[in-house]
Amino acid sequence: MSHLSETLHQSRDQVRSQDLGNQSTHTQLMEVMQRLQQTVEDYITQLKTQHLQPDLGLGEQRHSQAAREQEAILVRLMCQVVNLLQPPSPDSSGHVGGGQQAQSSRQPDQLGHHLSDLQATVVSCDLSTRGSDISALYHSSIQGYKTYQGDKYHEDKNPLGFINLGVSENKLCIDLMTERLSRSDMHYIEDALLQYADWRGQPFLREEVARFLAYYCKAPAPLDPENVVVLNGCCSVFSALAMVLCEPGEAFLTPTPFYGGFAFTSHLYSKVELIHVHLDSEVTDTNTCPFQLSVGKLETTLLEARLKGKHVRGLLLINPQNPLGDVYSEDALKEYLEFAKRYNLHVIIDEMYILSVFDESITFHSVLSMETLPDPQRIHVIWGTSKDFGISGFRFGALYTQNKEVASAVSSFGYLHSISGIAQYKLCRLLQDREWIDKVYLPTNRSRLQAAHKYITNNLKALKIPFLNRGSGLYIWINLKKYLDPCTFEQELLLHHRFLENKLLLARGKSYMCTEPGWFRLIFSEKPLCLKSGMHRFFQTLGEQKQDCTEKQQEDALREQTVCLLPSSSSQSHAGESLASASGP
Amino acid sequence: MFTLPQKESGAPTTCLDPASTQGLGSNYGDGLGRDCARKPDQKLPKLYGVGDPIATFSSDSSHLSSRGRIIKWFWDSAEEGYRTYHMDEYDEDKNPNGIINLGTSENKLCFDLLCRRLSQNDMLQVEPSLLQYPDWRGHLFLREEVARFLSFYCKSPAPLNPENVVVLNGCASLFSALATVLCEVGEAFLIPAPYYGAITQHVYLYGNIRLVCVYLDSEVTDLDSHPFQLTVEKLEMALQGANSEGVKVKGLILINPQNPLGDIYSPEELQEYLEFAKRHELHVMVDEVYMLSVFEEFVGYRSVLSLERLPDPQRTHVMWAASKDFGMSGLRFGTLYTENRDVATAVASLCRYHGLSGLVQYQMAQLLRDHDWISQVYLPENHARLKAAHTYVSGELRDLGIPFLSRGAGFFIWVDLRKYLPEATFEEEMLLWRRFLDNKVLLSFGKAFECKEPGWFRLVFSDKAHRLHLGMQRVRRVLEGKSQMAEVPPSCQTQESRGQHS
Repeated sequence: MSHLSETLHQSRDQVRSQDLGNQSTHTQLMEVMQRLQQTVEDYITQLKTQHLQPDLGLGEQRHSQAAREQEAILVRLMCQVVNLLQPPSPDSSGHVGGGQQAQSSRQPDQLGHHLSDLQATVVSCDLSTRGSDISALYHSSIQGYKTYQGDKYHEDKNPLGFINLGVSENKLCIDLMTERLSRSDMHYIEDALLQYADWRGQPFLREEVARFLAYYCKAPAPLDPENVVVLNGCCSVFSALAMVLCEPGEAFLTPTPFYGGFAFTSHLYSKVELIHVHLDSEVTDTNTCPFQLSVGKLETTLLEARLKGKHVRGLLLINPQNPLGDVYSEDALKEYLEFAKRYNLHVIIDEMYILSVFDESITFHSVLSMETLPDPQRIHVIWGTSKDFGISGFRFGALYTQNKEVASAVSSFGYLHSISGIAQYKLCRLLQDREWIDKVYLPTNRSRLQAAHKYITNNLKALKIPFLNRGSGLYIWINLKKYLDPCTFEQELLLHHRFLENKLLLARGKSYMCTEPGWFRLIFSEKPLCLKSGMHRFFQTLGEQKQDCTEKQQEDALREQTVCLLPSSSSQSHAGESLASASGP
Repeated sequence: MFTLPQKESGAPTTCLDPASTQGLGSNYGDGLGRDCARKPDQKLPKLYGVGDPIATFSSDSSHLSSRGRIIKWFWDSAEEGYRTYHMDEYDEDKNPNGIINLGTSENKLCFDLLCRRLSQNDMLQVEPSLLQYPDWRGHLFLREEVARFLSFYCKSPAPLNPENVVVLNGCASLFSALATVLCEVGEAFLIPAPYYGAITQHVYLYGNIRLVCVYLDSEVTDLDSHPFQLTVEKLEMALQGANSEGVKVKGLILINPQNPLGDIYSPEELQEYLEFAKRHELHVMVDEVYMLSVFEEFVGYRSVLSLERLPDPQRTHVMWAASKDFGMSGLRFGTLYTENRDVATAVASLCRYHGLSGLVQYQMAQLLRDHDWISQVYLPENHARLKAAHTYVSGELRDLGIPFLSRGAGFFIWVDLRKYLPEATFEEEMLLWRRFLDNKVLLSFGKAFECKEPGWFRLVFSDKAHRLHLGMQRVRRVLEGKSQMAEVPPSCQTQESRGQHS
């Protein structure tokens, strides 16, 4: 999921949907070229990892498949470059009614002239512009993940496989979940579960979700099942909300760094822009903790966006925060909501990790726990079981909103984001079983999260790696700036690749729209053995990286000396050697 | 189920009243209706019509975007009909005077078999990988099973490839995803009408594309050997018409077996339509959700996957689901088969939003794998039950002297009630529909399928005998009370020509 941000930034569509008048072709070209450069880098990494395991037949097949897909992206990007180099055509600015999306500037005929062979063999002319973009975006975003899927680590069967500390999944309690879901009360089938049902979700499930949220979010009054809409995942909920709240091109404010899936989602279907409220790590008088969100920052970003003519419809908050692990205090939350009310903004608040607050000294305040909400008609809460119960494969997400209009409009998407009746029944049974949740699942989950968190943080401390020590979520936000020389996003990407070469998947800060290079998100909710191997690879990579940095510094120093003594060719060959050794297995 | 505002050929656009939603009228494809006013009928013959989703809504909503308001309209209109039915649903013991639903196309005849099969031990597997993030195209074990299943039951000349399979949570999602990845906003698919109306909503919600109807009519002429016959000429005309209005058509949707007609395309017809699409570089989406619900053996159904040579394999995309053939619309399983890798990957890219639970994927794979049960238990029993129900309803209709179409496939009969309309208008069709509902039986009316002739209804027969009998009694009551009202019943002989041999 790591290349999401740059892909998003440089996606042709995004470029076009920004004010074209302000953006010269040159800028667009630069962005496409940058993406091209990155794809080439990714491609080379792909080839390298392929060489690492020539013995795995199936793995190899997948690799070459991935490589082919990379090639397709390369050609697609080249087409874009050629396209941008074309003199503007008078009819390329035509718009389709509804204003949903600016028309494509791709002109297959002209392209065919330049790239006919490649075009015919690799680039699909079957897909619409948005179809190609969706494909390209997807590929670049899951490329690391795909490599991992083909060669997963397994304690016994594949101890050399990829270890994934990049995707936020809780694997610590899968034994408990498997056991619970295997019990006989889960195996119930009746006619009604096999038939068309209420597209908002079966009434029994919506009632249970309302009860569950009222209890665990400590709502002052019972929540109303009529305000619940159940869909197949939180991304689906967010996607539907973005569709019904915004026109294409309108925007939400969101503090960075934030979960990249939202950026992906808002771009994919709804074409809603996310305007970043940039937070930084430095602690100052006004910034009492790293990456602190304040109303002042929200306000400044909002006003700046408005000056640029952006139509901001809402604010997107994640609490507990992903990737920071922060939990908003009740007062802070209230301030943000009041800010939103002042500017008539909707607030979408993602509370995916409410039960994953493992530090008992932390009190989490759900927005549903507030006595009075500043603007209840504009507050929409998202929750799901993927993180808190570690069952991302179950596909369940819920919306809670008091706004009937919004609930109805989102319900229309029930057709496209529905959950199987059988799965709805199981979820209902699960959420109903408070005894098991309170006495078995949550305590075990909490203590396992604590132990895993402690293991990682101790290791990080030993290596003097700065990180945010928080008590919620499944991840730690760590700072690897000191391993980057120079401290740039290019170097961040290279380090990320180096982790991959060592068969370790991490998510890098750029994917979370972080403005400072060098931050990574490390998932710790992994089984102890796997985690241990993962950390071993982590330190090994950093060791290599450090050695490289030192060598590079020495070379630089050497070069300075040799410049006056020797012809430059010798220092070049030296650099070549060290590069070769760095990229070896 | 829904109809978007129509901009019809020959009709000035101004007849679309922007202040009302009347153009958005009917939505009863699955029998979930609401009351609404109708547009006055056009006198000009209409061979095609371009759906126009860009409607203006006079809504006071302060919270929704303009597309959000249209999207909400879809829900509200369904909700109203849904409420009528669900507030007063028939139950043998608890609510014997409740509404009987002969409108929603569901097979309720085999729940006993299905529940038993799904409760067997092999279905109860729970393992970690099923609970975690999957391959978004669907678990490999399921895609392999789908490929084997389709190869066998569609009689494909060569084994189908699991890499060409994408699994989603239903065909609605599949229509939505295909519309998005094949078309730009505002572009269109051709679709012969009458058709399963919910597709309008599926391709609109995210895709924001339109449907261009190829209107078929019931009259049998020299050229049309049977009612509602689809011909290449009609396809050509609709395509040209759309082009002349500046609407770019990207594909053709074929439903085979057809819904609501119950028609089956012969391999020769199918080939012709595919050749037409190839000539115009159109994608063809073949919806085969009723392929195993062909209960008359003499019909000789052929899946597009069984053809030796497809004219344009890269642009032919096949859809199938468990909703109809396994009577499990609530399971939410649909699948795409396409040789076009770009299309498969692009659809897969959207699967994160249309995924189905790993546990359900496992059960589905177990079910599809069990060819013994499917071929020896389920299908024979299902077909026998469908046939019995069909025989009963068609007998009743014949008894009432009502013409109908039915060719031994699907769950429904396309019924010609034109002679019961005092005037051939959609208002009268609606009134008759209401009368049925007042008499506690829910049907779907033709307008919901974009039928151009008022007076056609779709009647679903795949329900348990006691409900079906009661439902038909209520239908009979309405029609017998009503039959005197129409003074000059139009000649309906032609519709008797097919499907009456059962």
